[in-house]
Amino acid sequence: MAKRAALYGFLALILALLCLVPAFASDYVVSLFLDLLMWIALTESWIILSGYTGYISLGHSAFFGLGAYFMAMTWTHIPYALGVLSGGLVCLAFAFAIGFPFLRVRGPYFVILTLGLSEFTKYLFINLEIKLGGTVGRILMMTPGLETLYYSVLIVGTGATITAYFVKNSRFGIGLFSIKEEEDAANSLGINTSIYKWLAFGISAFFPGMVGAILALRRSYIDPYTVFSPAVSFQVIVMAFLGGFEDVEGALLGAVVLTLVSEALWAQYPYYYMIILGAIVIFIVKFMPLGVLHPIKQRLLKEPQ
Amino acid sequence: MEKRKMSVLVVVILGVLTLGFFSMSAPQALAKDVMPVGFSMSLTGKYAPGAAGQMQAYQLWLDVVNQNGGIYVKKYGKKLPVKFVYYDDKSSADTAVRVYEKLITKDKVDVLLSPYGTSIHFAVAPLAERYKVPIVGSTAASVKLRDIKSRYFWFITSCVPDRQMKALVDLLKYLNIKNIAIIYAQELFPRENLQFLDPYVKKAGFNVVLKKDYPMGAKDLTTLLSEVKGKKPHAVIALCYPAGAFTITTQAQEVGLNPDFLFELVGPAVVVFGPKFGAATEGIATMGHWSPKGKWPGAKEFYDRYVAKFKRKPDYLNSVLSYTECQIVQQAIEAVGSFDREKLRNYIANHEFETINGPIKFAGLENTKTPSMILQWQKGELEIIWPKETATAKPLYPKPPWPK
Amino acid sequence: MELTRILQILSAGLIIGGIYALIAVGLNLIYGTMRLLNIAHGELIMLGAYVTYWLYTLYGVSPLISMILVSAFSALIGLIVCWSIFLPIIKTSKSAAVLESNSLLIFFGLSVIFSNLASLLWTADIRGYSYMTKVFYILGVPLMHNRLLAFLVAVVVCILSYLLLQKTMLGKAIRALIQDREASQLVGINARFIYIFSFCLGFAMAGLAGCLLSMFYEITPFMGLPYTIVAFIVIVLGGLGNIFGSLMGGFLLGLLETIGVSLTSPGLRPILSYSIFILIILVRPKGIFGRGVY
Repeated sequence: MAKRAALYGFLALILALLCLVPAFASDYVVSLFLDLLMWIALTESWIILSGYTGYISLGHSAFFGLGAYFMAMTWTHIPYALGVLSGGLVCLAFAFAIGFPFLRVRGPYFVILTLGLSEFTKYLFINLEIKLGGTVGRILMMTPGLETLYYSVLIVGTGATITAYFVKNSRFGIGLFSIKEEEDAANSLGINTSIYKWLAFGISAFFPGMVGAILALRRSYIDPYTVFSPAVSFQVIVMAFLGGFEDVEGALLGAVVLTLVSEALWAQYPYYYMIILGAIVIFIVKFMPLGVLHPIKQRLLKEPQ
Repeated sequence: MEKRKMSVLVVVILGVLTLGFFSMSAPQALAKDVMPVGFSMSLTGKYAPGAAGQMQAYQLWLDVVNQNGGIYVKKYGKKLPVKFVYYDDKSSADTAVRVYEKLITKDKVDVLLSPYGTSIHFAVAPLAERYKVPIVGSTAASVKLRDIKSRYFWFITSCVPDRQMKALVDLLKYLNIKNIAIIYAQELFPRENLQFLDPYVKKAGFNVVLKKDYPMGAKDLTTLLSEVKGKKPHAVIALCYPAGAFTITTQAQEVGLNPDFLFELVGPAVVVFGPKFGAATEGIATMGHWSPKGKWPGAKEFYDRYVAKFKRKPDYLNSVLSYTECQIVQQAIEAVGSFDREKLRNYIANHEFETINGPIKFAGLENTKTPSMILQWQKGELEIIWPKETATAKPLYPKPPWPK
Repeated sequence: MELTRILQILSAGLIIGGIYALIAVGLNLIYGTMRLLNIAHGELIMLGAYVTYWLYTLYGVSPLISMILVSAFSALIGLIVCWSIFLPIIKTSKSAAVLESNSLLIFFGLSVIFSNLASLLWTADIRGYSYMTKVFYILGVPLMHNRLLAFLVAVVVCILSYLLLQKTMLGKAIRALIQDREASQLVGINARFIYIFSFCLGFAMAGLAGCLLSMFYEITPFMGLPYTIVAFIVIVLGGLGNIFGSLMGGFLLGLLETIGVSLTSPGLRPILSYSIFILIILVRPKGIFGRGVY
């Protein structure tokens, strides 16, 4: 129990420190943390569906883009906080709308299907923008300052992490994991797997929608090619796999490690860092196929000290 | 276990890297003997092919300046050699924004140069305003640039769609062309050009025999181009990006579409276009506002130096715009005599600059001094054919048939 | 619509479809036998295109000869990658699902390495060359020699690989492995050899596709991803592990695109093809031709 309290205390301390970042750090550090928190939010929300049920989704970029466009279209018409929240809700609604037919598709077919979804939304928005504005791209004026955006991402990132944690440690979470183990068996045991997956898909889409809405204001210029880029989905998957995608700590670690390592390499070796990063990914997968955290956890469990 | 050791090792390495990152700090010289110039560049990712010409122009400028011992800055009473501080933005606007925040608040560079491409220019523009740092934009063109309300940001290019399309239509009128076909890509810049082309075309009273779009990344345009051919237009206006220009030039030959005038918006000025298509380039027109034959001081010299250093021609848009930008920044520093941002800003906003692309002066955010021009391939060279004042050659009309 | 135009649309669709098929068959071979999702497939196409380009521009090697050199080169890369990374992983992977996700990551790493290495070695400049640009008329439809050649080579290679699977002992062993891994190993099929073989063959086909495409499209270090996406769509349409399905899927997608472009607004093409793609998966979640080898 004391251990648990210490853990909570430690987490609260980190959160408090994160709250203080804009107060003492330079804008560069704040923006680095903003980036970090963004990836945490995206990765934590991704594992709620894909990590827990094994339905690997490349659809995060679709939700990210949708949120970004919702914000771009409503900006200066509705208040900022409402825009961010609605960006998430729009994605939640969208995921719920397509959830049942989509989640009937399994395995690698689901992976490609979600990739198709994100490409589809991209081209849909290209055409929509042409109909509405004549050109493909929007400039957003009078965007909030760095601090406001930072605190927003901090809230969303914390929210996603806490949600991922509570989902995992609930009956709902156990149901999701049973889908991963043996979906048909879970069904025959009376778990309504369709509803479970559907709910997880919606929750998982809610956060990238909000992140997209915030990031649209940070970029101050968006077009469909950049906000619906499949690179977002790929990076989230790499982060989740690196850290271990079955739990909150893993996703957190993956996001933090990859962001910081790539930041460190990126500044030092502008031409080589992507190659080094690629090599690190292969190395980790080859020697630690269950994520970086897994062998450490096992060590801690087996040799308690 | 070996595996466990390995994982611990990896974690240790990652930890060290992370720590190393945090303990890193920008080396700050005490005595002022170097001038750090910062920028973000798309070294990797989807913009990297286009950004290569910009990066090389920056490197050439660095060479030229440092061969002369640097830029004379009055405040320090000596010439300061330039040192580049640059990072890869992975062709991502988020990263580019972070790069500039880093350059301004952490690396504390004296001067900033622009990144590559319209969308990243847009993303970075608000920072210039927020930190009150002047940035002269280079490789960005859009009418929406004028929507940016900034006192610290400018754009050099005259390939702004409304002005560019007017120049094109003027040329078509001059050539006495009646029937035109327009094909355009579903992309940002081509769409924007179309928006301005339409009214000018209407006003000029051209007969538009066909107007159709094609999607980004289209790999086969033969059916579209043969449809165009069937309508027998005098002029074909292709509002495209480089990939489209390659496909259109190849497949127009294939289907035997050979109009009297062929305009391809972006692409023919890309370095590889000439070597790839050889004699087939003859007569193809494109947007742009520079040629080494232009009557501007240093134009030819820039071209020769560039070819000597990189063993290839400069990109007549990206490389030239970027070099011009460096010249403006350099002249402003020399005139102001310090790195005082407000003074630099005022100087850039209110003075005329002498560049390899002729005189440049900003009215608001835009360079209104340089006219929009049309280039055309003639005997393996891109010549300026419009407007007459800056032309280096007469328009080749009608375009000769494809070779063979 | 006049006949020539219809023929032109069909020929354009078939040509692009043939190349799609070549790309997709190579990808599907690797997925089918090893359950590995090769998202670096497009980067191999890119490498094949660069090698052809350099051989042609620096040493004047005809792309016709490069077809063989590039295929061998790509197969060699396949051999190295398979032997050094994948064989050990297949051995230690606990389940097919873990293997599938890990392979995705490794190929992601490889694609990042390949594309950035190419941009480091050769800069990110757009490149290209012209070869066999004479035009040739079939039933009044103009076709450039290089595209016709690309089509013929692609179709011949696809058919050969299909025959290989159908008619030879090796092919039967591969099919057996695709259908049931455990059972095939029980009857004494050397899985290790087949893994390496299909890996090399799949890579060689990607390299060959790059060689063919380089004759008429532009080359950049980051050109691979769109081809990977197309290949994925094709193999999903035709059914994962179904080589014949990929062949048909390639032609289907090629025709769908060109016919779609000429009937509707071309700008709508991606929306059209992606919505058809999504619908097909939703209705037939195992592809049009189902799983397995026919």
